[in-house]
Amino acid sequence: MSLLDTLLRCVAVVVVFLTFPLIIGQTEHKVMAHMQGRLGPMYAGGFHGWAQLVADGVKFAQKEDVVPLDADRRVFQLAPAVALLPYMLVLLVIPVGPEGFVGQAVDAGLIFVLAVMGIGVLGSLMAGWASANKFSLLGGLRTAAQLMSYELPMLLAAASVAMAAGTLSLPGILGAFHWWWVPWQLIGAFVFFTAGLAELQRPPFDMPVADSEIIFGAYTEYTGLRFAFFLLSEYAGILVISALTAVLFLGGWHGPMPESLGWLWTLLKTFALAFVVIWLRVTYPRLREDQLMRFAWTCLIPLALLQLAITGVVKVAIS
Amino acid sequence: MSLLAAAGSLDPAARSFLSPTGVEIVFLLVGLAVLGSAVISVTTRQLVHAALWLVVALGGLAIEFLLLTAEFVAWVQVLIYLGSVVVLVLFGLMLTKAPIGRSPDANSGNRWVALGVALAAAGTLVTLVVDAFRTSWVDLGAGGGSTRVTGEYLFRYWVLPFEALSVLLLAALVGAIVLSRTGKGRVPKPRAGKLRAGKPVGTNGRAASATTARPTASTPPVQES
Amino acid sequence: MNIPGSGLAKGLAVTLRTMTKRSVTAQYPEVQPELPPRTRGVIALLEENCTVCMLCARECPDWCIYIDSHKETLPAAEPNARARTRNVLDRFAIDFSLCMYCGICIEVCPFDALFWSPEFEYAETDILELTHERDRLREWMWTVPPPPALDPAAEDPKEIAMARKAADKLAAAAEAAAAEAVAAGPAGGEPA
Repeated sequence: MSLLDTLLRCVAVVVVFLTFPLIIGQTEHKVMAHMQGRLGPMYAGGFHGWAQLVADGVKFAQKEDVVPLDADRRVFQLAPAVALLPYMLVLLVIPVGPEGFVGQAVDAGLIFVLAVMGIGVLGSLMAGWASANKFSLLGGLRTAAQLMSYELPMLLAAASVAMAAGTLSLPGILGAFHWWWVPWQLIGAFVFFTAGLAELQRPPFDMPVADSEIIFGAYTEYTGLRFAFFLLSEYAGILVISALTAVLFLGGWHGPMPESLGWLWTLLKTFALAFVVIWLRVTYPRLREDQLMRFAWTCLIPLALLQLAITGVVKVAIS
Repeated sequence: MSLLAAAGSLDPAARSFLSPTGVEIVFLLVGLAVLGSAVISVTTRQLVHAALWLVVALGGLAIEFLLLTAEFVAWVQVLIYLGSVVVLVLFGLMLTKAPIGRSPDANSGNRWVALGVALAAAGTLVTLVVDAFRTSWVDLGAGGGSTRVTGEYLFRYWVLPFEALSVLLLAALVGAIVLSRTGKGRVPKPRAGKLRAGKPVGTNGRAASATTARPTASTPPVQES
Repeated sequence: MNIPGSGLAKGLAVTLRTMTKRSVTAQYPEVQPELPPRTRGVIALLEENCTVCMLCARECPDWCIYIDSHKETLPAAEPNARARTRNVLDRFAIDFSLCMYCGICIEVCPFDALFWSPEFEYAETDILELTHERDRLREWMWTVPPPPALDPAAEDPKEIAMARKAADKLAAAAEAAAAEAVAAGPAGGEPA
């Protein structure tokens, strides 16, 4: 791999990282509005408010960057970066199309993705503690509790796919994919996607940022660009979770069209799943904290274990 | 370490330590960073900072694994230690309302004992490793630490330690459950107010599951991870 | 029969269905609203019809109509006749910061000089400027829509009913006369 090639891939990942979350955010604005019988942004940019998020970005950049007096300055300022960067790293290894259409193929890609995404939550925890605000602290606590509960079913569901494919590499998993994997791994897909939603703190699992009770959780004290970074990390997280679910459970680039158009399938599946994320947000109310925990431990984990068992049995049966 | 030793071929080639390669220099620098952050992590008076320095130390360790081409081990290190253990530590610190700034009462008075134990442990480990490998040169060829190789060694040659570790974890799990259940017998009955809150208005059948909600039931497995 | 999760699915269906429907948002400054007939936007004045009878100003519950006038003497049209006087309107203003849009002035006007206009964009930055003078009120007269058509089954207005009655009477008389004529000359030789 030449230097130019590496550079190009990195630039492509950065561009994707900076644009796709905005596309998802704009989609959320519009889809949520229409699902609620509204129109959503209509002014910015002229045509149906397409530039709303650009305007938002400009607004955030103009705002004063306030750090509370009692806050732990350095940790407070570092937290948005810790929350944001892992998602960019994850994008690097998600395969988009066949034959090396991926930022960087990693041997243990699946573990890498899950590990790095776990780091992102550290940002929320740091923000929650360093803000010197009780709402932030509560948000941070809830984030930590939620992360630890939902990481396990997510890992188990991902392990089921790895078992089925016999590899931890994401392109390798896609290479081994057959269409009947979709029904075979259906439970795993449900568990993975749901746990992913919870890890992103998206509704209906948004207890850590429940705005009606703890303002905005760990991000309460943030303003300006740092707040924008947290928001961006949320939408980048949607992109990552959707892409991962598409790659692991829906067959990524596989689809009824020539191989050269595989990247289109990946994008299509990713955005369809992102739409589902938005759809769920509009439809369901927030779960209570104890309901959240009960759902993870008494529903998702047994389901994930069941999926593991099914995968194992089928794998032994067909080999 | 032993894993890598088993992975690569042990050829005592006449390599010079005086002309290090780039990877070796980076390895050394990262090692110094890990050491530094570990020292800060145990000496700082700010509790949460200690946990965050621990993140740096453990992350640096993951980079060391990567430099030794043990990719799988590196990512598992990140997943378990950064993603779960440190989160758990931070969770505990937040629960106990760790203050921002210095905690004057953070000094337990065991400073010198701890230093002694640390030095003894480090001495033992360094002696062991140095004595085990001497001047043997481990070739970090491609794929030496890949997932496949790691898995094969883990489940072929090191199965017994692996299983013993899982028994240890099981013991910890059981212990956690016992600890959380010692509160004088049974779980207290939910109060009337709670009961009403958990019950959907206007339905009669589905309320049964809500009344059995025990928020504490989720804590023991958390400690396991 | 209650399948677990059917409620969740129903919720998803509701939001999806709402998304495919037209949204109810009114894009007001870009798109003017479709106002129903007889919208009470503002009161317009057709000052040509006003005789300064002062009924509107007196009936107004919050006294928001200001009328000034003077008398003008018209020279006698015929040598023996008296000179006539008539009222000339000097000022007609409505203070819309007081007006409560009850419409009594319009109801009470005997000469059809006041009308409801659907025009509603006359906000001002100062409350004093909400007292609109007669030129502005006259301009609003152009925005008054024609009265909506009657319902198909409605009774005719009084004027039309009376005119029709008269016309019917005339027609009946003409018919009677024609019948009489036929009866008088039966051998009139009618073409079959």
